[in-house]
Amino acid sequence: MARRRKIANAVCYVVLILLSIIWLFPFVALVLQSFRGENSGMVSYLVPKQWSMANYRFLFGSGSKFLKWYGNTLIIALVVAVCQTMVVICVSYALSRMRFQGRKLLMNIWLVLGMFPGFLTMICLYYLLKQMGLTEAGAVPGLILISVASSGMGYYVCKGYFDTIPRALDEAAILDGATRAQILTKMIIPMSKPIIIYTALVAFMGPWCDYIFASYVAFGHEDSYNVAVAMTRWVWTNDYQGYFTRFCAGGILVAIPVTILFMCLQKYYVSGVTGGAVKG
Amino acid sequence: MKKTFAFILALVMVFSLALAGCGGSSKPAETKPAETKPAETKPAETKPAEPAAAGGTLKIWVPEATVSLTEKLVDKFMADHPEYAGFEVTVQPVGEGDAASNMLTDLDAGADIFNFAQDQLARLVSAGALIELSEENAAAVTAENNPDAVAAATMAGTMYAYPLTADNGYFLYYDKSVVTDPTSLEKILADCEAAGKGFYMEINSGWYQPAFFFGAGCTLTYDTDDASNFTKCNIDYASDKGVGALKAMINLAKSPNFHNGSSMSNATDPAAIVDGTWDATSAKEAFGDNYACTKLPTVEINGTATQLGGFTGFKLLGVKPQTDETKLAMCDELALYLAGEEAQVARYNEANWGPSNLAAQNDPAVQADVALAALREQIAFDIPQGQYPGDYWSLATSLGDSVIAGEYNDADDAALLAVLQTFQDTCISYAK
Amino acid sequence: MENYQVPERSGISRFFHWLGNDLKDIGGTFVRGDWRTKLSYIIMGFGQLLRGQYVRGLALLALQTLCNYFIFGFGWTYLKNILTLGTVATQKVNRVTVFGDNSFLILLYGLLTVIVILALLYLWRLNLRQNKEAEGILAEGRRLPTNRSDLHSLLDKNFDKTLLALPVLGIFVFTVLPIIFMICIAFTNYDANHQPPANLFTWVGLQNFKELFGIGGTGFGGTFFYVLGWTLTWAFFATFLTYFLGMAVAILINKKGIKLKKLWRTILVMTIAVPQFVSLLYVGKMFATDGLVNGYLLKWGWIQSAIPFWDNATYARILIIVINLWIGIPYTMLIVTGLLMNIPAELYESARIDGAKPFQTFWYITLPYMLFVTGPFLLTQFIGNLNNFNVIFLLNRGRPQSMSLSNNAGATDLLVTWLYKMTINDSNYRIAAVIGIMVFVVTAVISLIVYNAIPSVRDEEGFQ
Repeated sequence: MARRRKIANAVCYVVLILLSIIWLFPFVALVLQSFRGENSGMVSYLVPKQWSMANYRFLFGSGSKFLKWYGNTLIIALVVAVCQTMVVICVSYALSRMRFQGRKLLMNIWLVLGMFPGFLTMICLYYLLKQMGLTEAGAVPGLILISVASSGMGYYVCKGYFDTIPRALDEAAILDGATRAQILTKMIIPMSKPIIIYTALVAFMGPWCDYIFASYVAFGHEDSYNVAVAMTRWVWTNDYQGYFTRFCAGGILVAIPVTILFMCLQKYYVSGVTGGAVKG
Repeated sequence: MKKTFAFILALVMVFSLALAGCGGSSKPAETKPAETKPAETKPAETKPAEPAAAGGTLKIWVPEATVSLTEKLVDKFMADHPEYAGFEVTVQPVGEGDAASNMLTDLDAGADIFNFAQDQLARLVSAGALIELSEENAAAVTAENNPDAVAAATMAGTMYAYPLTADNGYFLYYDKSVVTDPTSLEKILADCEAAGKGFYMEINSGWYQPAFFFGAGCTLTYDTDDASNFTKCNIDYASDKGVGALKAMINLAKSPNFHNGSSMSNATDPAAIVDGTWDATSAKEAFGDNYACTKLPTVEINGTATQLGGFTGFKLLGVKPQTDETKLAMCDELALYLAGEEAQVARYNEANWGPSNLAAQNDPAVQADVALAALREQIAFDIPQGQYPGDYWSLATSLGDSVIAGEYNDADDAALLAVLQTFQDTCISYAK
Repeated sequence: MENYQVPERSGISRFFHWLGNDLKDIGGTFVRGDWRTKLSYIIMGFGQLLRGQYVRGLALLALQTLCNYFIFGFGWTYLKNILTLGTVATQKVNRVTVFGDNSFLILLYGLLTVIVILALLYLWRLNLRQNKEAEGILAEGRRLPTNRSDLHSLLDKNFDKTLLALPVLGIFVFTVLPIIFMICIAFTNYDANHQPPANLFTWVGLQNFKELFGIGGTGFGGTFFYVLGWTLTWAFFATFLTYFLGMAVAILINKKGIKLKKLWRTILVMTIAVPQFVSLLYVGKMFATDGLVNGYLLKWGWIQSAIPFWDNATYARILIIVINLWIGIPYTMLIVTGLLMNIPAELYESARIDGAKPFQTFWYITLPYMLFVTGPFLLTQFIGNLNNFNVIFLLNRGRPQSMSLSNNAGATDLLVTWLYKMTINDSNYRIAAVIGIMVFVVTAVISLIVYNAIPSVRDEEGFQ
């Protein structure tokens, strides 16, 4: 019996190792490609013949605005993370704890709204932002505004979590004379640390991947690009021959902060996903 | 006391309300989006916009490779034209495809002068994103440039853009050590297969695809009318010649070493690639000492070795419609200068763009360029690219994808003819 | 069944009933109110100010001024043209362009003005109600709520209004408005030939819908259903394959006797952290005919000629589903892992004592529990995959296209990617808008059917 179990375990380990290889392979390949010195285009082999830091030097050097784009994206991500978390907490608390006329209607409308595909609305949002002067040079505030303004609709996970906090606590606090505002700030928020971190993390990860809407809003103004727009240009247009290895290098640089954050905050992410996402 | 105070307060509010109502209706400027000065949408610009005076901002979009060159040219222009000193000119790196689609998204915030590829001309004209050339400019450009380039910038007899290059054609780059005889496609493929390297041609692009059909003698052009609408399609793909060309294409796609693509840096281990002058540097880097280029090879169509044809295309410089006369005059002059002989030679020296200006083409450096020489050889077999509706390009991709996927590998002539008939009918339907 | 009909009817009739009552109330308040109330019909907040409720009065008055300013100062110029969408064409005077009406802006700002008018009406109604209330309180001899208590209630009784005001405003302007705009576009002829500001577009009614569903040859209609079919197939496979395989991986890692559980999970979860546009673009290139995979397969002699992964419709579809597994399994695995811990261990114990084999444990205990708890989650995933733009677009842009599909649809195109290509490449906004509406309809129908059918919703107690 024990032997059979040992063999079964061994098989499992082999499978797991295979899976790990499959999952890690593209990233390892990306890292290897980013150190390639010869032929900055595409090649059909994996390990570079000439190792060099030239790609990274290019990105950090004065020949490229990569640092500016990186900075843009970082600013957008940080501000959006903070503001979006605040908005989501407010909305979730209001919907979870308070009962008012039109609450169910509001929730249903938002549910329905979420089912529309967002592409045509981009050109609409572009014009609205343009009216406010938040395009081209003002693209960074514009992107922040759009992300934060619509974020109230993503309340499901947070609300689900708040729903699990017993009402009795609220009622006890009210009997003690606290206002609803005080209940939120002094009681609910300290109890919801995992969910708040989850919301902030998800909000932080969003702006790094936005390559369509950000290019609409920046509208050719190079200083306002974020990394996604700039890097997809390198791969998709013909103006940038030989930028493939630089794209790999840029990709690694973009992946690093998000991955590190994710590793550190993984347990909060898991609790958010299992706690809230499952209940729908 | 409280009541009187409240009463006065309310009166004040009403008064301001009325004021708002009146003030609102006396703002007709809001209805004319074009008069929204560029400064309003770009809060970063500090120049105060002066209506109809000699001041304002001018935006230019060029591909990244020519940004610094364009800035130098603009500085020289401004030095020579002090009357436009009130204008501030910015040059931004926006690729040709992006420039066209940005102009179509928002004309008002788009650049005043921009580079674009010729295939976008029809779309830009029908969206009203280009102002036609003034008579003097049109005459000057027509006299100084390659006549096919001028035709490429013309729709229904009116010139809408300034030609910049005459090198948007394709020919063959190859590795001398692998390809022994670059005159025949079959021999090239055999060499590639023997060496295990790739042959690249983007047959699912409506630009490269006609190489087969034009070589076989088919035609595909569109007529346009005064309002720049497509009126008629002249096409005879659905014929024996067309079937022969399609079969040649299918045979090419069957080869294990064929890869669909036309970009040197996206090609792994190429031995031969159908590509244009923009990739000369990458080709030199990849092939090293074995770098060579020549006109396109022949391919066997219906039993005879037929020379592959193609398009010669041109890159254009466009000016967007202006609402201010002084600015329009400045754009006219600046665009003429940026498309003139001096600028075109400078662009060749900086970025290897083959000029369309006749005098520039005779510049010794241009004449000595190997890639441009190959292109010149090929041009004899090409037709100048005219106007095509946007839908045509996507339709050609569908045909090419079908060939690459092997949909027609076992089809007989009748089936191929039917496919081409559908293609032909759809092309004709685009000219309404 | 008869009972099923009744709720429908009473829903509509309930609305009209409510409307009638409301109108009666408005009229009645006017007739029975004092002069302050009557004046409040025109100047909002007037009555409140005179009765000493400064906070409410000032707030309403300020809002009314703001709305009026917007409507008359900005919106009216667009709204008045909304039925025609502009009549003054752009002209050229000696090559100097004089721009006429801009249909796009007319529609957009016209709709925005309509929203502001509706908001104003809501506030006006609120204003009247407050006046009526205040009068009633005074008539009974009680005291009105003080200003301080009004402000205080914003943090307490009316905290929900404080919390929701800005988010709801944001959503209305930046989400609802564009969606209504998009729906309106589906009824106009806004396409490449009618592009503002140089051209005008106008209302054309249901013409676009007829064109989309017109079946005939390689007409639009046939292609639409083809793409719809693939969209549904893709969403189904993507969701369920990812789910079950994710569950398998989670169970594997969770098995007793496997060490380093955290390590395995972290490795798998890394895919979530890296931005998709980096990983997907690279993976897409890996499978090209001259890419890494084909290169190594050829080198090792496993195949004779490169496999056209991205050029053959079937291969491309299968490959996309497989790559989506790579992206999606870590996510599902996380969820399942969290839930597996919640299954009471006694169930497993008693099953083992009864002599159940591992597979039976899985089939009769684990699986039903999982399906029950994650029912809504699966639905959300399915809906999400219907609109999964990134995976399809970044990998192969919806290619391979084919002669048998019209309007440049490809074999791996979802409705959303087709829609996007239509706007970018052909400026065919009107058809794209119609397709957008269709996507919504499909999503809503599926959601409604499935949501009401899954056991988690119907039968929470029965599960135990």
